Amino acid sequence: MSFPEDLLYSRDHTWVRIDGDIATVGITDYAQDKLDEILSVELFPVDSHVEQGEPFGVIESLKVTTELISPVSGDIITANEDLADDVGILNSDLYDTGWMITVEVRDVEELDNLLDAEGYSDYVDESEEIG
Amino acid sequence: MDKWRIIPFERCDSFENMAIDEAIFRVNRQGEMPPTLRFYGWKKPAVSLGYFQNAEEEINCEYCRDRGIDIVRRPTGGKAVLHGDDLTYSLVAREDNQLFSSDVVETYRIISGCIIRGLEESGVEAKMVEEGRVGDGSSEAFCFAATYKNELLADGRKICGSAQVRARGVFLQHGSLLMDFDPLAVCAAIITKNAAIEIEKLKASVSSVRKSIRDNIGIDILCRNIAAGFEEILNVRLTEGKLSPEEETLRDSLLESKYSSDRWNMKGRGIKSEH
Repeated sequence: MSFPEDLLYSRDHTWVRIDGDIATVGITDYAQDKLDEILSVELFPVDSHVEQGEPFGVIESLKVTTELISPVSGDIITANEDLADDVGILNSDLYDTGWMITVEVRDVEELDNLLDAEGYSDYVDESEEIG
Repeated sequence: MDKWRIIPFERCDSFENMAIDEAIFRVNRQGEMPPTLRFYGWKKPAVSLGYFQNAEEEINCEYCRDRGIDIVRRPTGGKAVLHGDDLTYSLVAREDNQLFSSDVVETYRIISGCIIRGLEESGVEAKMVEEGRVGDGSSEAFCFAATYKNELLADGRKICGSAQVRARGVFLQHGSLLMDFDPLAVCAAIITKNAAIEIEKLKASVSSVRKSIRDNIGIDILCRNIAAGFEEILNVRLTEGKLSPEEETLRDSLLESKYSSDRWNMKGRGIKSEH
């Protein structure tokens, strides 16, 4: 499983790429592996406000529908419209073209609640042992 | 031994059925509720749609309207089901309940194992699907046109279709166990590419409780046997209960604001706070 080192990760299995005060958000390799074949995704519209730990959309895979939980708080600036045409990139290219939303981050201190790649990898290993 | 709540079989209309399931699911997310197993039927026929399905493209809405068949959108994903001659169950529990798993497929396996035990006691020899998705995609809008890992087969044919939603550490799984099956009615209500061919395929690939045991069986007996299956397999005690006042209030609110509305049932995608 791949967890690039230049990203931050939430315990709700999303990744964050920080560029200034803009956060790009997507789901992790662990999440897509657990979801299996992803069929549909529905994202909150641009200009919506999201809160860290609160939903920013819904995702459906073969057998489950589940909320997408935002790793940061702020307003959604862009949502990836390409996902509507080819949701399969969430399984195949999730750290690049499979990004979901960009958010203008209001409180950078919130990023302290996120994990680095190593910390997230350990968290996933622990989850597997429990689950 | 863990105590669960069981809400006994009751026939409600389609909108109320979905409002009740979602109310139990949402209240459970707010605190420590016991896992809840509910059995229910449908006062009149209804098509339930998966969360992401397109009603206009996948359901014969005019046919349903003309024949008084409700169309209701589920909080869960998956494909459409024609309800009427089925026993529907729902199970709400926390993901971190020691009896279940954070793994979706494993949760299906555990629940299916309990239902298999109840069916066995009822004279139906059921088993789980071992492969991933199996289906030729010809009738993609219909739940029973394809099987998925850990779903239930009787005589090698699909007999129960299930779907799951997860949020805030809680899952809701509901499923439809066919008592009887009428492929003509399904192909009239749910859009298929070639109805004549599809009817024959469904005859060969879908079973039902009464077909399997070649006899009649009361819903009450079946519910009792399946509930006993959960108790035996998971070593839990089911205690008969009803909705809490909080769940009743939320049910009424969801019924009025969401499940009685065409906006939700026909258009769906009620993003933000609907989930």
